[in-house]
Amino acid sequence: MDRNQLVKWLEAPAKMSHKYSLHAVYFCTGCGIIEVPPVITARWDAERFGVLPTATPRHANLFLITGYVSVKTLRAIIRTYEQMPEPKYSVGFGSCPINGGMYWDSYNTIKHLDRYLPIDGWIAGCMPRPEAIFVAVTHLWTLIEKDMADGYKRYRRDYAQYRANQERVLGELEWPPLFAAGEDV
Amino acid sequence: MKILWFVISPLAALVVGIIFLGLSRRFMARIQWRYGPPLYQPLIDIMRYFTQKSVSHGAIFDLGVVLSLAGSLVVVLFLPFGGICPLRGSGGLLVILYMMLLAPLGMALAGGEAANPNSSIGISRKFALALGYEVPLLLIVLAVMTRYDSISICEIVAAQRAGLPGIATFPLVLSGFAYLLIMPAVLGLRPFEVVQAPQEISSGPLAELGGRYLALAQIQHALAMFIGISLFVNLMWGGASNPFVFFLKMLVVLAFGLTVNAAFPRLRIEQALRYLWRWPTLIAFVGLVLVVVIGR
Amino acid sequence: MSATLAGRLEAVFKDIRTGADGDARLTVAATPESVLPVLVFLKDSGYGYLQLVSCVDWIERGEMEVVYVLSAYPGGPVETEFESIVLKTRVPRDTPSLDTAIDVFPVAEPYEREIHELFGVHFEGHPRLVPLFLEREYEIPPFRKDFDTREYVEDVFGAVPPVVEESQEP
Repeated sequence: MDRNQLVKWLEAPAKMSHKYSLHAVYFCTGCGIIEVPPVITARWDAERFGVLPTATPRHANLFLITGYVSVKTLRAIIRTYEQMPEPKYSVGFGSCPINGGMYWDSYNTIKHLDRYLPIDGWIAGCMPRPEAIFVAVTHLWTLIEKDMADGYKRYRRDYAQYRANQERVLGELEWPPLFAAGEDV
Repeated sequence: MKILWFVISPLAALVVGIIFLGLSRRFMARIQWRYGPPLYQPLIDIMRYFTQKSVSHGAIFDLGVVLSLAGSLVVVLFLPFGGICPLRGSGGLLVILYMMLLAPLGMALAGGEAANPNSSIGISRKFALALGYEVPLLLIVLAVMTRYDSISICEIVAAQRAGLPGIATFPLVLSGFAYLLIMPAVLGLRPFEVVQAPQEISSGPLAELGGRYLALAQIQHALAMFIGISLFVNLMWGGASNPFVFFLKMLVVLAFGLTVNAAFPRLRIEQALRYLWRWPTLIAFVGLVLVVVIGR
Repeated sequence: MSATLAGRLEAVFKDIRTGADGDARLTVAATPESVLPVLVFLKDSGYGYLQLVSCVDWIERGEMEVVYVLSAYPGGPVETEFESIVLKTRVPRDTPSLDTAIDVFPVAEPYEREIHELFGVHFEGHPRLVPLFLEREYEIPPFRKDFDTREYVEDVFGAVPPVVEESQEP
């Protein structure tokens, strides 16, 4: 067994634990949060998949952005995302984070969430059915297995661009830059 | 040889505590008419917490979490687990009662350093709840110590194995009943889940713990459940001669705590204190008086 | 009380017009100066609940219409005729300005803030006329009919560049 295979074999339990213990921070962004309570309670039981809601971003590794993101909400979303410990995965839920959705010509919502935060996957729909959350979770498992769910690494690498976009829309940000310039993954 | 028991006993308690965590999630899920996570889910959660990058809020933050875990581990060494009792004859029940308060103290240090208002509220609730259940618990333990005329928990277990379990003898049945009344508070289950209260105060003292610290806090929670249940089984149900029967007795007590947990909402802290200082304290006090008056 | 509410209103205030909107609603059109006295009169007549303050932008006529909707709490001391009263007043669109209704109905404070930030109507005497919902600065208040939302969206949100990742080639 050569060195790469050994590293993969040693990392396998960590990867398995990231897959099967996706705790979602219970941030109720917009309309889409109405689809989440049936998912996490007895109707469609998401705890079988290891998906639980948590009350604080410090315990979470999944961020479901479930609806339209107004400018004020974007400020809160960025602060919550930056508090989550790495590795973390973010999923855009509904068509509003994708391209503005129903609010594509609104004066107060942002249109493309992946210009401000790294997104690992999108769930299209307005609103998607709760079964779509489970499809997304299983897709996310595949991505994690293949090391393709690297949103947090992209955030670290391209932080200058993300922060420039955030400052462009939000004006002055109260928190200092999270990563120093040129920080490595 | 004894050194081996010193290592095995906390590990066994940890394994049993994690089994309890997994069982409780599955049990609660089945009560709520859904399937639950697999039984080894807490293990996956703890592994995931360990592999995440955590944020520390200072040295006292780290020390607080470690102190609470250390406190729980040391208490486990004093509790007999079936036939295993590493630290017999070293102060017994008094040391257990004293060291049981190190765990909330450590959590309070960590939570206070986190500078989160939710943590502060959670810590004040934790100590208030501890004050609430410590009063009847002290009366119960005093009654047991007086009845069996010893502060060594191993001697108490041996006396019960020679005769009837504590809860089946006359004055101690009152103390046992009082202990069952405060059992959810000792375990941190509903209706006394007011410390963590995820929907209200963002998990209270655990609000700022992430990554490794959360893993240690989960392990401490598993050990705290083990301690709460095994104290009852040792004091009131006669312990056991081998660890497997002890484990089965603990499962019965856990099932009782979980069914109460499933049926009740969360009490407010002043309602919890009012309850804990009323009927359980009264019954435990009557039990203590009867034990002293009637004799052994 | 033999006179109806509309009759009593027109007797006291000379420069208002009343109308009926079905059986349950009275409409009152007032000048900007007489809004506060009419509100005081209606509050004393038993309509003590200001449901909302709203605004309409009549761009062709060059006016902004501020609308107050009043109703009465059920079981109040005075018997009321109507379920709700709609009080409207017009201000010129170039410099829209009204006196604040907070002295009569303190609940009007957030409504007036909202109308100020979204329509640009200034309320004299309002203690805190800062934006309620919006974070950004807008040249033209967004709810005015000459605010072009699509152009604004393209200028502000469409011009944000997508994040360009470095190429992944080895």
